[in-house]
Amino acid sequence: MLQLDDLHVYYGNIQALDGVSLCVEEGELAAIVGSNGAGKTTTLMTISGVVWPKQGRVLVDGEDVTRLAPHKLVARGIAHCPEGRLIFGRLSVAENLTLGSYNRRDGRQIRADAERVYELFPRLLERRKQMAGTLSGGEQQMLAIGRALMSKPRLLMLDEPSLGLAPLLVERIFEVIDELHRQGVTILLVEQNAYQALRVADRAYVLETGRVRLSGPAAELIDNPEIQTAYLGG
Amino acid sequence: MYSGSYIAQQFVNGLNLGSIYALIAIGLTMVYGLLRLINFAHGDLMMLGAYIGLFIVTNAFLPLGAAVVLPMLAIGLVGVLVERIAYRPLRGAPEVAMLMTSLAVSWIIQNGMIMSVTAQPRSFRLPPGVNQLHQMGGVSFSTIDILSLALAVGLMALLTLFVRYTRIGIAMRAASENLRAAHLMGIHINQVIAVAFLIGSALAAVAGVLWAGKYGTVEPFMGFLPGLKAFVAAVIGGIGVIPGAVLGGYLLGFAEILFVGFLPPELSGYRDAFVFALLLIVLLIRPNGILGASNEDRA
Repeated sequence: MLQLDDLHVYYGNIQALDGVSLCVEEGELAAIVGSNGAGKTTTLMTISGVVWPKQGRVLVDGEDVTRLAPHKLVARGIAHCPEGRLIFGRLSVAENLTLGSYNRRDGRQIRADAERVYELFPRLLERRKQMAGTLSGGEQQMLAIGRALMSKPRLLMLDEPSLGLAPLLVERIFEVIDELHRQGVTILLVEQNAYQALRVADRAYVLETGRVRLSGPAAELIDNPEIQTAYLGG
Repeated sequence: MYSGSYIAQQFVNGLNLGSIYALIAIGLTMVYGLLRLINFAHGDLMMLGAYIGLFIVTNAFLPLGAAVVLPMLAIGLVGVLVERIAYRPLRGAPEVAMLMTSLAVSWIIQNGMIMSVTAQPRSFRLPPGVNQLHQMGGVSFSTIDILSLALAVGLMALLTLFVRYTRIGIAMRAASENLRAAHLMGIHINQVIAVAFLIGSALAAVAGVLWAGKYGTVEPFMGFLPGLKAFVAAVIGGIGVIPGAVLGGYLLGFAEILFVGFLPPELSGYRDAFVFALLLIVLLIRPNGILGASNEDRA
């Protein structure tokens, strides 16, 4: 459903992506792994239309969506849960979720989806009237994922959802990702935590200095000796 | 010392002046929150609003309410147009470019008015009925004072409801916290910014009409000082935060009236110096303003 075709992206004179191509099939959980600065976040930002590529195309269901404004991509079912969460700290938990459904008009279905998010993350229900800035890091990450789900995405993009969280919470976040995947949500996951990402993913891409270095079924990559030394610590 | 009624009178005056500053400051703070732009042209929109009000009042074929509603509509649209033509193309440019543009817009509007209606101050005379004075326990106020206050407070209450409960109001608060994150959530940023300019400019127009009604004259430079002081009010209250603009507006209004009313006469001519000294003191104690976000939660 998503296809990236030879993306070249520059920040000024610095090249961030150097011909990235990849695809995500309907219902699949695809992971992009790689070290800091490999271009993982830039890839997601390019899909979202925040960054425009100098060359190359972004296709959703075969349709060219390169250079569309971010809100138009959300309207096409691409939800982006950004790195660093970027929740709105001065807004309540419930208001943050409302903003996730900003482009929708199906009131009843929106309420049902909010219920679903609260079921997935009961802590958010307890704190729905609280200012989001007062939540703990893990709760903020849950809110960010919940907010992205509120757009009823066909593709959910998660950028470093485990970053800065305690090991127990990292486990919980990956459980949730796995659960969403099993419910049939198509997911594109960006992670530095390669081991966890490869464990839940169907397919994976290894990014290195703006290029796809390796790709294939996640189960195969996890056993690849090259990956083991570079990303899995032996 | 001062009698109770004298103090009460100063209180009424402060309330009136504060409402006007608050109405102007709201637009400045909304725009700053979204674009980090100090909109120098904002005071000039207030002036334009006063002129439209003047036109309606002097050609009294319309009810008095029209002197408020029509300037709001017209100046709201002018604000949206200014953003569309002058500021939007500079989105993403260094902040100073937009700042200079707003100065340019300010001068264009002022000079445009001098060319079309001359710099001659014109008297703004209200229909006799609304200037009637009332006495209550030694405090005097006119009908227009009460109408102005009710209008200002009513509009601010409406704005509060709008920002708190409507979809676009929530989006506006989100966008002023983090424009990029709001965009990623699917919020149509340009729409939110246009609405902010529409509301802010309409409120400035009301302030212009009230100002003209209070001081009785209208001239092309009348927007400069109130615009500047409203900016001070917004900064005192915490720029980017709407309740901060309202609080700052009233604080400034009261402070100014107090300086005039209670300082020895030979010092009251320097009231503006005292107003700006107040700004310095507030900022020394609370660098982000009274209700402003602390730097940590500014992403």
